[in-house]
Amino acid sequence: MRDERSYRVALVADRYVNPEPGEVDGLAVLAAAGWGVMQLPDAGYPAEVARPLLAEVAEQVEEFSRRGYGFILVGERDGLAEALAHVGVGVPDGIAPASAAELREFLAAQPAPPATAAPQ
Amino acid sequence: MGVAFVAHCLLNQNSKVLDGAHCAGVYSPIIDVLREQGWRIEQMPCPELAFAGLGRFWAVREQYDTAAFRRHCQRLATAVAGAIEARVRQGEEIVLVGVEGSPSMGVTITSSDPQRGGRPAWPDGSPELTGGEGIYVEELHAELGRRGITVRVAGETHAIPGHDEAVQRARLESVLEHRDA
Repeated sequence: MRDERSYRVALVADRYVNPEPGEVDGLAVLAAAGWGVMQLPDAGYPAEVARPLLAEVAEQVEEFSRRGYGFILVGERDGLAEALAHVGVGVPDGIAPASAAELREFLAAQPAPPATAAPQ
Repeated sequence: MGVAFVAHCLLNQNSKVLDGAHCAGVYSPIIDVLREQGWRIEQMPCPELAFAGLGRFWAVREQYDTAAFRRHCQRLATAVAGAIEARVRQGEEIVLVGVEGSPSMGVTITSSDPQRGGRPAWPDGSPELTGGEGIYVEELHAELGRRGITVRVAGETHAIPGHDEAVQRARLESVLEHRDA
């Protein structure tokens, strides 16, 4: 079986995964561009619900980071920086796009992930 | 509609075991159906990714069924159940979308081979698929049960012999429309 992964992962604020009508559909843009998505908890969740979810996101980002996968941030999420810092990972380059075109342009400008340069 | 809590890899095929990614990133055949029908999407963590890493071997349920992995899954299940409980309190319908054949994320089909272990060589076509839930799904159902919550389930079926995208879609739509009840 041929593995089709892109080695590119976007941490994505909930509002770009479940956009309101008329808002930027980040998930559609990322899917078309071949990026994997790690969804951040909905901003409406209380802290006691969001905090453990963010901790799990951070732990998984740590593994992607260690393995040279490329990752970016689309949108923002309170508590993400702290959760990432807890696993020793910085907040990646990011964008809060006002349009799908702006997001596509940002994605196109990303460098090749280190993992794609290493022997697989 | 309601909220679909989906397996991590349905939004991020980069989390799959090596040689297991069916596409670059988002597995659209499932996600598109959910969005077309107005379901909100929430992604669950991948139980295997942080625990066994991106370089993990393909494995069956028995290989993951350790006390440490159960504790890991219980931690994830507690976090996700908190989110599900919050949505239930808002009056939302909940559907759990897993990955059939997975040792962790199977919802009606998991993988089993009590002899599997040691040097990783076994013939293709070993009959490892069996009815049942993966370990994470089992722990999530246990945690939801403690909270008095029941959810409907559906699964992505790439690992199942004879996988047919149209059949997969029809089954998912049936669960979403509650025609399975």
